[in-house]
Amino acid sequence: MEATLQQCLEDTMENPCTIGVLCTDLQGLNLGCRRTPSDEHAGVISVLAQQAAKLTSYPTGISVVCLESDNGNIMLQKHDGITVAVYKMAS
Amino acid sequence: MAFQKLQVPQDREERKLLLDPSSPPTKALNGAEPNYHSLPSARTDEQALLSSILAKTASNIIDVSAADSQGMEQHEYMDRARQYSTRLAVLSSSLTHWKKLPPLPSLTSQPHQVLASEPVPFSDLQQVSRIAAYAYSALSQIRVDAKEELVVQFGIP
Repeated sequence: MEATLQQCLEDTMENPCTIGVLCTDLQGLNLGCRRTPSDEHAGVISVLAQQAAKLTSYPTGISVVCLESDNGNIMLQKHDGITVAVYKMAS
Repeated sequence: MAFQKLQVPQDREERKLLLDPSSPPTKALNGAEPNYHSLPSARTDEQALLSSILAKTASNIIDVSAADSQGMEQHEYMDRARQYSTRLAVLSSSLTHWKKLPPLPSLTSQPHQVLASEPVPFSDLQQVSRIAAYAYSALSQIRVDAKEELVVQFGIP
C-alpha cells in the first residue's frame, strides 16, 4: 500500500535540482526519504513546519518554510497530516 | 560591616534588667535614705551589666572592617592559586553534561550573500506544494487492512 507514496518520492527525485526528499507525519515518523535526509531529520522537520504554521493565521493555512544556505535550500510544507521536505541544490 | 550570631536573648542578666526597675520603687516607699543607698548600687549593677553586655557583644560580633589584614607572602599566594586551580580542574572534569552539547552547525559563512541573493523562486514553492498534495493523497492508501480475527474462540467442548 505504500507503493504510491514511494512512486511520489521517486518522481520528485527525477528533477535534477532536487538532492533529497523526506515525508513525515505529524509526530515525526519517517514515511519515506531519498538521499540526503534520513530518519533522524524527520522529527525536526515535522516540528519546524508545525511551529511555523502557528506564526500566521493565513486563511488557507498553507505556508512553506525555507531554509536557505550556500549549498541550496530546504523547503518544508505541511499538508494536513503529512509534512514534506524537499532539498534543492542552489541553481 | 558586622556579622552577628543569631541568638535569642535569654540571658539572665537581661532578664534582671527588666526585673530590677521594680525593686527601687518599692524601696523608695520606705524613705529617702534607703532610696539614696539603692541608687548607687543600682548604678553599679547597671554598670556591671553594661560592661558584661559589651563584652558579650564583642565576642559575638565579628567586625570585618576593623580586622587587621594579615599580609600573605608571594609564595603563599602562588601556592593557594595552584591549590584552587587544581580543585577547579577536578570539579570541571566531573561536569561532563555541558561538554556533551555540540556547537550549532553553521549553514553559511557569508550570511549577507545568502540574505541578499534572490528569494526562493515561486516555481519551486509550487513544486513543493504539488509534491505535498501528491504525497498526502498517496498516504490515504496506507491503511489498516484487517485480514484475520484477532480474537478467536477456542473450541472447548
